[in-house]
Amino acid sequence: MATDKNYGNPELENKLRDRYYYTTDSNPEFLEDVKTLSRTIAHMCFQCGTCTGSCPSAPRSSYRIRLFMRRGVLGLEQEALNDPDLWLCTTCYSCTDRCPRDIAPTDVIMAMRNLAFKYDIVPRNFLKTVQLIYNTGHGVPNNDVNRAARVKLGLTADPPTTHGYPEFIPGIQKIMDHYEMKDNADRILAEGGQ
Amino acid sequence: MAEAKEQPRIGVFICHCGTNIAGSLSIEEVKEYAMTLPGVVAAEEYQYMCSTPGQSLIADAIAEHKLNGVVVAACSPRLHEPTFRTATQEGGLNKFRFEMANIRDQNSWVHMHDWEGATSKAKDQVRIAVAKARLLEDLEPKSVPVEHAALVLGAGVGGMQAALDLASAGIKTYLVDKDPTVGGRMSQLDKTFPTLDCSQCILTPKMVDVGRHPNIELRTFTEVENVEGYIGNFTITLRKKARGVLSPAEAEERGIVGGGCNGCGDCSEVCPVIKPNPFELGMAPRKAIYIYHPQVNPLLYTIDFDSCVKCGLCVTACGEEKKAIDLDMVDTFEQVKVGTCILAIGYDLIPIEEKTEWGYKRYDNVITGLEFERLICASGPTGGKLIRPSDGQIPKKIGFVLCAGSRDNTGGVAKPYCSRFCCMYSLKHAHQIMEKIPGAVPYIFYMDIRSFGKMYEEFYYRIQNEGAKFIRGRVANILEDPSSKNLTVFTEDTLLGRPLSLEMDMVVLAAAIQPKPEAERIRQMFGVSKSQDGWLLEAHPKLNPCGTTTAGIYLAGVCQGPKDIPDTVAQAEGAASAASIPIHTGEVQLEPYFAQCVDELCAGCGMCVNLCPYGALALVEKNGRTVMEVTEAKCKGCGTCGGFCPGGAIKMQHFTSPQICAQIDAFLLEGGEQ
Ligand SMILES: Cc1cc2nc3c(=O)[nH]c(=O)nc-3n(C[C@H](O)[C@H](O)[C@H](O)COP(=O)(O)OP(=O)(O)OC[C@H]3O[C@@H](n4cnc5c(N)ncnc54)[C@H](O)[C@@H]3O)c2cc1C
Ligand code: SF4
Ligand code: SF4
Ligand code: SF4
Ligand code: SF4
Repeated sequence: MATDKNYGNPELENKLRDRYYYTTDSNPEFLEDVKTLSRTIAHMCFQCGTCTGSCPSAPRSSYRIRLFMRRGVLGLEQEALNDPDLWLCTTCYSCTDRCPRDIAPTDVIMAMRNLAFKYDIVPRNFLKTVQLIYNTGHGVPNNDVNRAARVKLGLTADPPTTHGYPEFIPGIQKIMDHYEMKDNADRILAEGGQ
Repeated sequence: MAEAKEQPRIGVFICHCGTNIAGSLSIEEVKEYAMTLPGVVAAEEYQYMCSTPGQSLIADAIAEHKLNGVVVAACSPRLHEPTFRTATQEGGLNKFRFEMANIRDQNSWVHMHDWEGATSKAKDQVRIAVAKARLLEDLEPKSVPVEHAALVLGAGVGGMQAALDLASAGIKTYLVDKDPTVGGRMSQLDKTFPTLDCSQCILTPKMVDVGRHPNIELRTFTEVENVEGYIGNFTITLRKKARGVLSPAEAEERGIVGGGCNGCGDCSEVCPVIKPNPFELGMAPRKAIYIYHPQVNPLLYTIDFDSCVKCGLCVTACGEEKKAIDLDMVDTFEQVKVGTCILAIGYDLIPIEEKTEWGYKRYDNVITGLEFERLICASGPTGGKLIRPSDGQIPKKIGFVLCAGSRDNTGGVAKPYCSRFCCMYSLKHAHQIMEKIPGAVPYIFYMDIRSFGKMYEEFYYRIQNEGAKFIRGRVANILEDPSSKNLTVFTEDTLLGRPLSLEMDMVVLAAAIQPKPEAERIRQMFGVSKSQDGWLLEAHPKLNPCGTTTAGIYLAGVCQGPKDIPDTVAQAEGAASAASIPIHTGEVQLEPYFAQCVDELCAGCGMCVNLCPYGALALVEKNGRTVMEVTEAKCKGCGTCGGFCPGGAIKMQHFTSPQICAQIDAFLLEGGEQ
């Protein structure tokens, strides 16, 4: 367990805080949960870096999929779930294609996001996406620019999705209500969370 | 057929194997139970039955209790059956009065967390073994003489070393290679780590020696067609492939005195057919009549009849005196008799183009480590000038992709194992470019640098000190710039935690290695198993790394698993030593598990004769009747005939029907009425 320091100065305390990794920081159940949810052998990562090397997000952000794999192996639950980078995976599955240990890192990230949701740790834009899907059936609903482009291409202004068939929206809402997604999204947004 | 009926007096000895067995089941209960079994007059337990005191326990008990059967409940018979047979013999019994119950591998190791279940299963196993022990008979092993000759298959550095050792120990040795020359992979290498001596320079003396050693019968361009027999007496049929060219000796046999190929190469000069040279991995041409390279041994030209157009130009060029070329030559067969064999058939690279992310065969400037060896070698296709295949320019930034297809669990062509020499040869390659190309920088992309051998870590230190850049990250993919043909390598520098894209002039893939495709056929002919990774299986990974489970067959070099030259040579010397023991002993004992014909019951129908996979059976006339007879030395005790004979006339020694039925009864009736 990290030792507390008491200098009577919060800024200094933060700067000089104990950065050792203690095995007590690990929650072994975290790895088990990740494995169950992701259905992949998350504990077998040997840190080769192929995933990050394949990742389109890595060169554009601070997101390192390999780092999340490591946190998973070590059970560093809080460190993984509280890192906003968790939400920067594009789910392109390039890493899953190439991982030499035949792990699906993408699914590990999805599992961690699921676990984060349980702690209400979700970025606002993801929560807003939940609301949009609930209300329109689309994560990215149609807009005027799109409509104009579609008409120019000789298409109908709205695609034959829930935009064209709004009567299917209640069905989607039923599914989402079952998982209390919308309620939770509303609540977290209202609490002014992340 | 037990002669005088003797009362069974069985001793049961239960081993703790430290805690291996005693930690998972109740030895005490099993011992008490054993004493209740019919025929058992003594039961003992001991920490390690295989130790000297453990073995004395058996020998002493035989004398004290007048035992006529011994049961040891312990580990697998694979290692310790011989141990306990010896102990049985030392106690004054015939050594086949011994039966083993494997309560470790087949019980305590599998049921580690089920004390009750394991204990009860051990009782079953002991009961079954005792049931057989009650019916055991004295048997005499058969001694057969050993042929004073050996065969080594594959004449790479491993096979050549083994053959030289055997030959120097006074044993006539057939050294067989499917290629037109000896030398194997090592003759394709430029320098060798970690000493950097020239590969050809240290190999050529051996190549020459195997050609002129009086005890070595060299057979190049030759394959094994068929294997028959058993330790001491193998009969091996060799197919001498039609080479189209006569050696001086062969010419003399045909009455062409002073003729035969002298290696002048006049034929090759006139041959109109041009093909890629496989020795140069297709990077240099050869003619339809060719030698791989100037140092070949034997120095004999070979015709590739698949591409020869039979124009006859070479015949004319060769001339009337030598008359070395015979365009109508056909394959010939030869049978050799040997006592033992060593397999040393080496390896191939995996088809690394199937790992498409690295672009081999799609991008001109991505090559394999083996191609690098040829390109950097002074006798290679470019005279030792490393150039980019795309434009002939000298590369300055060269990437080395380690573990290309090794340590990879994704299936397909990838291999889960470490190929064991690619780290080291990539370090060597890095050194070679820094030495030869001013300003060249090697970038080594690695996961771990495995420099485990003697002076290997020092070599790693040296190459880093010379300026090689080490990047810890496995290469994710490579992209080619279509106009410059430069390559961009993508990975993560895992130590910085940053993604990397590096432009290279050339990339060398340290491709994984795999068994030869023919290894499967060879293995089946010689009766050798393979391990789960596909390499030929040694008898024991630690205690018998040169032997196989087939007596008389030994392994050397990479065909048993990835290894570098020092390890290959060491194993080859070990295999040669092991293979010479039966030959020098002069005779071997065969397990007496032969089929026996009970003449009174045999109807002479002969149906078994064709069933025997080893051709061990024949019909003979005996006392005016036709009966079957077994050639004991050929019989492997497989039981095919014994299980089939409609009259029950075939007795499988040590696995007789009464013995096996007693075991089944003991199991099913749980010790009840039999
Ligand atoms: C690029 C590269 C660089 C290397 N550099 C080094 C180095 O610097 N130092 C080092 O210690 N090691 C190095 N090695 C490893 C080295 O090549 C091996 O350790 C060594 O060649 C193994 O010898 P071998 O006799 O077991 O097999 P091989 O050399 O493969 O010989 C096998 C022989 O068997 C013959 N054969 C195969 N099948 C049959 C058959 N069915 N019938 C008859 N004959 C058959 C083949 O024709 C061949 O002649 C390197 C390997 C590579 C790929
Ligand atoms: S590619 Fe696979 S093994 Fe390599 S670091 Fe990523 S998850 Fe781990
Ligand atoms: S799936 Fe996610 S983590 Fe994997 S490569 Fe794509 S963006 Fe990166
Ligand atoms: S006969 Fe065959 S090997 Fe001879 S020169 Fe003609 S093509 Fe070449
Ligand atoms: S020797 Fe090195 S490069 Fe080759 S597979 Fe093993 S770790 Fe990878």
